Amino acid sequence: MRPADTPPAKAVGGDPHPPVLWDPVVRLTHWTIAVAIVVNYALTEDGGTTHVWVGYLALAILVLRLVWGFVGPAEARFAAFPPAPRAALAHLADLAAGRPGRYRSHNPAGALMAYALWAMLAVVIATGILMTAGGPGDEALMRAAVERDDWSILTGATPWVGDAAAEVLEEVHEVAANLLLLLAALHIAGVAVESRAMRTNLVRAMLPWRR
Amino acid sequence: MAALKPPAAERRRPALLTGLVAAQALAAVFFAADAATDLLNAPWTPHTLIEAFVALALGAGVVIGAVELRAALERLRAQETALAAARGALSTVVAAQFRDWALTPAETDVAWLALKGLDVAEIAALRGSAQGTVRAQLARVYAKAGVSGRAQFAALFVEELLAQGVPEADGAHEASRRQA
Ligand code: HEM
Ligand code: HEM
Repeated sequence: MRPADTPPAKAVGGDPHPPVLWDPVVRLTHWTIAVAIVVNYALTEDGGTTHVWVGYLALAILVLRLVWGFVGPAEARFAAFPPAPRAALAHLADLAAGRPGRYRSHNPAGALMAYALWAMLAVVIATGILMTAGGPGDEALMRAAVERDDWSILTGATPWVGDAAAEVLEEVHEVAANLLLLLAALHIAGVAVESRAMRTNLVRAMLPWRR
Repeated sequence: MAALKPPAAERRRPALLTGLVAAQALAAVFFAADAATDLLNAPWTPHTLIEAFVALALGAGVVIGAVELRAALERLRAQETALAAARGALSTVVAAQFRDWALTPAETDVAWLALKGLDVAEIAALRGSAQGTVRAQLARVYAKAGVSGRAQFAALFVEELLAQGVPEADGAHEASRRQA
């Protein structure tokens, strides 16, 4: 309450600023993807049925976010945070100098991180699907193969790819999953640093239960 | 104090639509994966055709649902912007009126607080003055405004808004366009 000749106007116009609250699709996809990754990395049995289902869930949610990147509100669109490595470096330099700029969506470094996380997730999911031959999980896959008199599955080969390719896919899946977690850790550190530099708690805008 | 907001149904709509679109995306991916597996394992059959068709329909549903959701979000934002513009416009009208009545600085403060719904005791506590002083200041404000009491005083401004409609506050609109 501030009695005065004119009460303080709401800040209108002025500098661009990131959303006070991200839209519900951005928040839902963010936390579903984050939880799916942690669950599949740490909790589910490698390659087990739950692991595969959670992987498909992550795929569906990732697809939704990508659609939203074209039809969502302006600040959620890819056009609002294009991948721009030079701008990202410039932003990091500004940050180091203690004068980070303001953007209406993710800052350029955060944007690059978002694309890196999505791309890495796509690699993990794609290799996983190829490894399991698009099946809903080990057991079902095996049963179906055996029904077709294809016993190769029991000797370790997968119907979509040969033995050698399966080895490579497994290796890529594992390395990409590790990289994904590393990137996520960097991302969380980045959010903390940016929040401090901008004197804005960026996490508040991402909280799933706020209206 | 309760604040004006868009209706509850409007505010719940985005969350509902988000859940719906997410469920559609899930279903679309599962059907697409199933159809793709079947296709790679066996040639086209009516079963695979139907699966592929369902996957396509669900995929289209995701996009249409997403567009619908964006529209709902924008309607909500437009309402909030209109409210903010109305609030801004109202304070401008009130401030101009106070100047017109030549209220003293102290009377201006007291008048704002009275308009905001505080009673004499609360105003006195806020300003650190005696209740008698506040009562006297309010009496002078009402006299300058030519009204008999607080209810009429507040009604002056509401009437102003209702009669003229809500003037557009250009600044607020521009800001919403930049955000939207
Ligand atoms: C949310 C995304 C996912 C993450 C973070 C993830 C992570 C992992 C990790 C850390 C392993 C253990 C790798 C190792 O140490 O060998 C693994 C194994 C495996 N994942 Fe995933 N995964 C994901 C999605 C998927 C999907 C979508 C599928 C299949 C559709 C899948 C299928 C498998 C299989 C079959 C294995 C066992 C590979 C082996 O035999 O070593 N994963 N995953
Ligand atoms: C595996 C874990 C995580 C992944 C894969 C991940 C991924 C992402 C992605 C892709 C974005 C871009 C969002 C979009 O535009 O849709 C993002 C933004 C964001 N994430 Fe995460 N995230 C993870 C964990 C977290 C955690 C634990 C926090 C909170 C401490 C967090 C806080 C944020 C915030 C605040 C933003 C918005 C940043 C901005 O204002 O530009 N994230 N994250």
